[in-house]
Amino acid sequence: MNATQELISQAKVHAIWGPFNSGEALATTPIMARAKMPNIHPCVVESLIDTTKFPNAFRLAPSNNQWDDAVRNYCLNILKVKKVAVIGDTTGYGVTALGASVAAFKKDGAEVVYQANIDSTQPDMTPDMLRAKNAGAEVIVVWSVSTGMEARMFNTRAAMNWDVAFAGHPSMSSGEIAGLVEKPENWKKVYVIGYRSCSYDSSGKLPAKSQDLVDRLLKANVSVKDTLLWWIADGVDAIDLIAKAIEASGSTDGEGIIKYWNGLSKYPGYFGNFTFSPTQHNGYLTEEIVMSEASTARNGAFNLAPGYG
Amino acid sequence: MFASIIASGLAAGAIYALVGVTYNTMFSTSRVMSFTAGQLAMLGGVFGSLFTLKLGMPVLAGFVLTLIGCAIIGIITEFVAVRPVLKSLDQHLYVLSTLALALMIQQVAAIKWGTEPQPFPRLIGLGNGVWDEKFWLPVLACAVTIIALEYLYRRTLVGRAFIAIAEDNFAARALGLPERGLRIASYALAGMVGGIAGYSGGELLLAFFANGALLNFYGFVPVALGGLGSNRGAVIGGLALGLFQQAANFLVGGIFSSVAVFALFIVVLLAKPQGLFGFSTARRV
Repeated sequence: MNATQELISQAKVHAIWGPFNSGEALATTPIMARAKMPNIHPCVVESLIDTTKFPNAFRLAPSNNQWDDAVRNYCLNILKVKKVAVIGDTTGYGVTALGASVAAFKKDGAEVVYQANIDSTQPDMTPDMLRAKNAGAEVIVVWSVSTGMEARMFNTRAAMNWDVAFAGHPSMSSGEIAGLVEKPENWKKVYVIGYRSCSYDSSGKLPAKSQDLVDRLLKANVSVKDTLLWWIADGVDAIDLIAKAIEASGSTDGEGIIKYWNGLSKYPGYFGNFTFSPTQHNGYLTEEIVMSEASTARNGAFNLAPGYG
Repeated sequence: MFASIIASGLAAGAIYALVGVTYNTMFSTSRVMSFTAGQLAMLGGVFGSLFTLKLGMPVLAGFVLTLIGCAIIGIITEFVAVRPVLKSLDQHLYVLSTLALALMIQQVAAIKWGTEPQPFPRLIGLGNGVWDEKFWLPVLACAVTIIALEYLYRRTLVGRAFIAIAEDNFAARALGLPERGLRIASYALAGMVGGIAGYSGGELLLAFFANGALLNFYGFVPVALGGLGSNRGAVIGGLALGLFQQAANFLVGGIFSSVAVFALFIVVLLAKPQGLFGFSTARRV
């Protein structure tokens, strides 16, 4: 919050890209709204976007509802399971995402046999995994950004000789997990939110625009081995949108930037094709969301999950 | 389940006990509760991963360099956060100064090391399941450290000098003991004990900057339960805390296990404010 206020009052920036965590955004969004600061962020919690309360805030990523819909659809209609465990961390994001996910699963007729918010520093995940297993969970849905906690869960699953699938947050596919799992096979049967723009098709190819971005990054010696391509693509799109808004409006005035963003229709970004309007600031199209196989990263992009296409 | 509770409870408890010993070692020669104890343990994990994994050094070399690094941070603590406030101990300024330094250490670790947990290497490669080295290594490290400290305090001149400073600072100085040098040495020793806690617990806790705050708190509980200045109390308190925390984790879940731990903490302190192994001191009025 201090950093946001400093950017607004002292650095006097013209627009803000970020923050990148929903918990932080819950605190900073009202501050930026009071200052009418043009703001794009990729944070997913629903309440961060409200065209009445925060007319300056635009989401350049799916909302948590869109993520939740994709994961739930995969679990219930493709994996065809009925009993789910839902686990979140104890951040603002984890708590809100878990609550929304549990409610949506129940509404769709699934049985939530176990749910828990776990402190990401908890060194041993055995208690929670045992409880989920004893409750009969057929899939474990995870809403957390903590790669340490997730790797511990994968290792514990292997130690328990349990072959349950994990599904959920894209952080489960982050390259950092490769160094945290005890064996590479512990990372199998993990399915995460993915995006068509950052997915390899059946012939192993990325969409042309995404491949162009990857080529540019590799040429500039930017390592994409231990990160996610969509994070980079989203960042490039955000900066481009700020620049184009200033160019189109002819000034750095916030009102002009916001007016430009409100008029975008299927803007062709690297991450997706964005559409905003004065009454809709969730810019990512649901049909561009897919599920990915977490351990198949190459240059931050993934193969599609089994049964998904 | 029972085997998991014992294995992970003793392992976590041994780490908490070592952090408690770190607190006690710093307290013994300065009468200061230094809140950098948990950060020293965090740095034990971070330095261990840096030297042994990222720089690819042999395990022994990485361990020695980790101890040296943590000892240096311990000495910095004495210079920066303790010595300036020694004249005003009754005003408890050490709380602010050591906490401020602890936060600085944490933030520098977050900026330079990263905010995501980093892997810690497999050190010996012995055991699996509940006998995995990530469970028995902290317990072994705690036992060896306690035995070594007992030998130091009871059989060596330096150790007896530490005890003399702790028992009566003025008398020790009057006898010509180099109080300042001994205090610096004890903070270096405390740094190394913290480093041992972090290094031996690295496979369990990973090399993660956020471990500092967690260990600061959970390492303080054994000291409060066991009595300030009592290493025996810190070890018993730490192991009991680890076992109780893990049992509560299995029975009621992670979030509520913290409630259970704090509830027990309050009950014990209400019954015995000086700790289970501490003693009340009379004060002349």
